[in-house]
Amino acid sequence: MRQILSRSTNGPIGMIAALLALIIVFSLLNPRFGSVENLQNVLFQVSVPLIIVVGTSLVIQMGSIDLSVEGVMGAAGMAWILLSPNTRLETDIGVWAWVVALGIGLGFGLLTGAIYAKLKVPSFVVSLGTWYVGLGVAILLYGNSLLPSLTSETLARWPTRLTLGLPNSFWLAAVVLMVGVLISHYTRFGRGLMAIGNNEPIARSNGMPVDRYKIAAFSVAGTLCGLAGILATMQLGSGSPDIGFGQLFVVIPAAVIGGTALSGGEGGVLRSALGVFLLIILNNGLVLAGVDPDFQSGVFGTILLIAVIAVAWPQRGRLKVAK
Amino acid sequence: MTQNTTYSPDLVTEPRQSVDFLGRLRHMAGWHTLAPPLVFFAMLLVVGIFNSNYLGPLGISIATASAAPIMLVALGQSMVLNIGSIDLSNAAISLFGAILLALALPPMGVGALIGVLLLLTVIGAINGAILAYTHVPSFALTLGTLGILQTAALVTSGSETIYVTENRELVTSLYNTKMLSIPLTFWLGVIVAVAYWVLLRLTVIGQTMTAIGKNESGALLSALPTKRAKIVAFAISGFTGGLAGLVIVSQAGSASASGLGSALLLPGIAAALVGGTSISGGLTNPLNIIFGALTVAFVPIAIQAIGFSAQAQSLVYGVFIIVVVALTTTRTRGLVIK
Repeated sequence: MRQILSRSTNGPIGMIAALLALIIVFSLLNPRFGSVENLQNVLFQVSVPLIIVVGTSLVIQMGSIDLSVEGVMGAAGMAWILLSPNTRLETDIGVWAWVVALGIGLGFGLLTGAIYAKLKVPSFVVSLGTWYVGLGVAILLYGNSLLPSLTSETLARWPTRLTLGLPNSFWLAAVVLMVGVLISHYTRFGRGLMAIGNNEPIARSNGMPVDRYKIAAFSVAGTLCGLAGILATMQLGSGSPDIGFGQLFVVIPAAVIGGTALSGGEGGVLRSALGVFLLIILNNGLVLAGVDPDFQSGVFGTILLIAVIAVAWPQRGRLKVAK
Repeated sequence: MTQNTTYSPDLVTEPRQSVDFLGRLRHMAGWHTLAPPLVFFAMLLVVGIFNSNYLGPLGISIATASAAPIMLVALGQSMVLNIGSIDLSNAAISLFGAILLALALPPMGVGALIGVLLLLTVIGAINGAILAYTHVPSFALTLGTLGILQTAALVTSGSETIYVTENRELVTSLYNTKMLSIPLTFWLGVIVAVAYWVLLRLTVIGQTMTAIGKNESGALLSALPTKRAKIVAFAISGFTGGLAGLVIVSQAGSASASGLGSALLLPGIAAALVGGTSISGGLTNPLNIIFGALTVAFVPIAIQAIGFSAQAQSLVYGVFIIVVVALTTTRTRGLVIK
């Protein structure tokens, strides 16, 4: 019984069952939930957190945490829009805007990773610091002048335009997710991260380049946050330092609900992605069912609580250490 | 966590180890207890050079008033960090407490204060009990209770600002009365800090908490009451959160889910860390958190005094946290840093 319970709550089958149950309940509550437009809407909303969660999972798998998501998104998004066709500056550098913005994300990731791995400052603290630094860069770029809006129709429409019936932003997220899954399952780097999360001293004594892997994981996470910042800015159509507001509290619960243990060495990119779907569908369904938005964070919190307790229950033990 | 700095007195009897022990002790005692006040006074000096007006009675009363709620939240947080866990819900507890106080003060007076503090202590204890009995990671657990408390704050206040209509002077006097041009709210924080210092250094339950933070398996195998200590630590975090709520109401005369005190979580954690608390547990000094909170509250004032634009605030904040923690963090060989 215990084994069945642990398998069903830990494995993706339990997650998929929960997702299906939600979809059925919400479709009964409001027929508009199951409409094609709403499904496209859900896929549109899901794409930004889906991109972030790939990086977040890689970092959590090795037992660290990356809190800098919202700051890096703000900095990269502001840099991107100021270098793309916009209402404020005449500095349109085309594709290079992407390179610069992704470079900013990569830079923040490298910085976090290097301070964490080389100076041995806990990742929680470093990424808390880079969160503020990123936000500060975004606020300085935003300045006091007028709101920068995208003037290029092609760019502003791109995220919502449909390709094969699905919005482009979802295709982008799907590609990132696939690459993330391949990296974490089939490369030395991906398996190495899992090993570090499981037992760092053993990974180190086996000659694994632990520090390099740590820096690389944070760099991937930073770059993906940069990409998410660009996509979110494009979706909004204008720049804002707060473009990433609230994303951190979607992606971390999503990873945890997906069974990625915060102590590291467990979980996976795909399961975290299912967690993102679960939370976004829940949010969308609650809105359509007419639930007061005030209750949203409470419902999120309750589900997170039930999920973590269900995951941890079978693994309880007298001598278990829980931080 | 895996940090094994032992302070057993019998080490001193062995000469070879005693040198090592003394050196380590000097290093720990010197740096960890001195860094937070040094950082604060260095900042004060810099601000004084640029603009001495900020060091007058008015400047001091503004800085200490804004440090008071941060300090109380940070003190609660540090007790939880000390056992190696984290309480993401404690700032939400203080906001919920502030709203309950603003609602209950007019009809009930002092009874409201006692009732609310009791309730919040119980909420904290429930967090601790879930942690102790289900072995859920505290980060995920308190993230969940954070969401629930946010909804509770929104629903009880009806998403509106609650003004304290009667019995107002009961709480506002705490903010308006000043000793040495420092409001009583700040002195309340100082008293709490001293009390927690005594609790951690001189009582069995306090030592048990530190033992859990240093080495939880070791504490378990030594048959220490780890469950009870965890519940007490989280209950203290809830109680201190309630005191922070009281300070918020006394400062604003009102409470709302998005008003004063709605963004205390991160400054609270930052103040605990700048005050020398280790995020991996087993190391905290409540007295230094006074300086940690003052530093965190003083950064925006310092930035303006030096002449940076207010927009540079978060950037300086971020760099500051990283630098201070990088300078004060412990790096024992072989220690696993998460």
